[in-house]
Amino acid sequence: MPPSMEDQFLDGADSDEISRSFTCCVCLDLLYKPIVLACGHISCFWCVHYSMDGAHESHCPICRNPYSHFPTICQMLHFMLLKMYPVAYKRREKQTLEREEETRCFSPRFDAYGGGSHTYKKLKIEADPADPSITVFEFKLCPDSSSNRVKKHFADLMQRQPVSLPQDFVIPISKQTSGGNPQGATLADEENVVLKNNLDQTCEQLSIADVQCTACKQLLFRPVVLNCGHVYCETCFNIPVDERFRCKVCQVLHPSGFPKVCLELDNFLEEQFPEEYALRREAVQLKAVHLHDAPSTWSKNSGIQGFKWSSVPKEEYSTWLRDNGPKIHPCAGCDSCGMYPIVGDRYRCKDCKEKIGFDLCGDCYNTNSKLPGRFNQQHTPEHKFELVNWKLKQEMMRLMVEQLGDGFAAPYFSGISLEQPGDPTAAFVSLDDAEETAENAAAIVLDDDAEETAENDVNGLAASDAAPEL
Amino acid sequence: MVDLGRVQKELQECNKNMDVSGINVKPKGDSLTHLIGTIPGPMGTPYEGGIFQIDIVLPDGYPFEPPRMQFATKVWHPNISSQSGAICLDILKDQWSPALTLKTALLSVQALLSAPQPDDPQDAVVAQQYLKDYQTYVGTARYWTENFASSRGLEEKVQKLVEMGFPEASVRSTLAAFGGDENLALEKLCCG
Repeated sequence: MPPSMEDQFLDGADSDEISRSFTCCVCLDLLYKPIVLACGHISCFWCVHYSMDGAHESHCPICRNPYSHFPTICQMLHFMLLKMYPVAYKRREKQTLEREEETRCFSPRFDAYGGGSHTYKKLKIEADPADPSITVFEFKLCPDSSSNRVKKHFADLMQRQPVSLPQDFVIPISKQTSGGNPQGATLADEENVVLKNNLDQTCEQLSIADVQCTACKQLLFRPVVLNCGHVYCETCFNIPVDERFRCKVCQVLHPSGFPKVCLELDNFLEEQFPEEYALRREAVQLKAVHLHDAPSTWSKNSGIQGFKWSSVPKEEYSTWLRDNGPKIHPCAGCDSCGMYPIVGDRYRCKDCKEKIGFDLCGDCYNTNSKLPGRFNQQHTPEHKFELVNWKLKQEMMRLMVEQLGDGFAAPYFSGISLEQPGDPTAAFVSLDDAEETAENAAAIVLDDDAEETAENDVNGLAASDAAPEL
Repeated sequence: MVDLGRVQKELQECNKNMDVSGINVKPKGDSLTHLIGTIPGPMGTPYEGGIFQIDIVLPDGYPFEPPRMQFATKVWHPNISSQSGAICLDILKDQWSPALTLKTALLSVQALLSAPQPDDPQDAVVAQQYLKDYQTYVGTARYWTENFASSRGLEEKVQKLVEMGFPEASVRSTLAAFGGDENLALEKLCCG
């Protein structure tokens, strides 16, 4: 159900105050669950996911820098934006959730900020565990803002579970906390005022603790974001001898090359904390001089092509059509490292019930990856996996079924997409391709009839594999 | 489903600085998925002085799929079909990126008008003419611009047809339906 025009205008009412730096280049709205690509450009979780190419290497929407792994959400940015734009960010959360419910595919939810300091304290509002659509709300307090009383209050609240609060409960706005909240009615007025003042302060003021480097715990200077979503200063990242970049926190390998500085974030930090930023710059330059190392050396690292992790150049992706290329699993991504599409072996969880499923690439399966799924799947380590039997014909059939079935896969497999008939411009591009595909498909169907029945599950696969569509 | 929120934002943004770019996008009807874009012909080209209308249909996958654009105004150009108005431009096909907008796409179309690529033609006849007889190409393109794309030319045509005895309202709508083609409009008016 598309929102009415009036809703759209109301929704856009707060967008004027949102800095251009934090506007997503795809949805042109405030970034929600931001992802930083290796080239340093930021976009929303779903915007990146839908922009990716299900059968080939993907490219950054802004600079077309190629990448093959779906990065994890940058939690630091997520909580920073939530703090800076509480109202707009909650609006985005609501909007996104509505869409997610339509598609029955959910983005990851964060209980608390795990990357940095102890600044974040969690208030968990009990939701019906059977309904995955209800978000766990959290809020955070700065320890330096003498808010012990507030903390105590919320600690009390948490003990008195289950606390039932309306879904649109937004902590930063005190009006909403007291209105319609059964617990709020019991609060002394005085306490309400304290709560309001403290929260207003903490919400408006970003502190350095919110934007510190994972390694040096100081203000970020020339920040880079790894594929796992952790943020470092460019200078805090020592390049290992084997040129594999492994995150110091989660030990996850960064798949391709040294990431570029996220310039939007860098500029923002320089404006927001001019003094501290200047100090950091001086310190870094001093260190560099001390080490007889010009600061520019660090920038050179950006060009280094790191260890290539099953990343396949664009030309090679198409070789699978000829049955001699790498094993590409179109529209299937690894839930651990994010490789999309999976190249090589693919293991599928037999026990995950979600529509999107849970898959691992060969490497992640062999290293017993324990990372949670990328789409909030309820996957547990006890679940059993099966090796997906890769067959060219199966993959072709699966794609054909998907395309004929709902026509949605077209953007994900534009190479052989069947465009709508009667559109002269579309026919101009894909007529040849479409004919070729149809012929191939016909040949496959004939072939399969004669062969073993093992491929009969193709339909089932296709139904469960379909990537989420908007 | 088309991201209507984004389309709305794009329209606001595009029409805000219309005076500078001359580019303008308006919904064709009530729906935000069918739009009309307007670009001025670039200076120093045979298209100078023309106002070109482009019919835009947003597919379900927009902005992850390119918008479908084609000229509603007749134009003589190697990369634009003189019959259907179909545009041969990579960013409207496989080189589309979701970070592009209707405005940037229309700017690219405008740039295409000033830099024809006859080696990768959409209209083979125009491309042949461009390569073999450049002066005739310039003449034809200018003639088409004056006839089909300029508002001054349109007023003259309206006046002429009104003088023939047709009501002005139907003259205008028929001319618009035929992309400003006077002869076709006359034929249509005579028939019905």
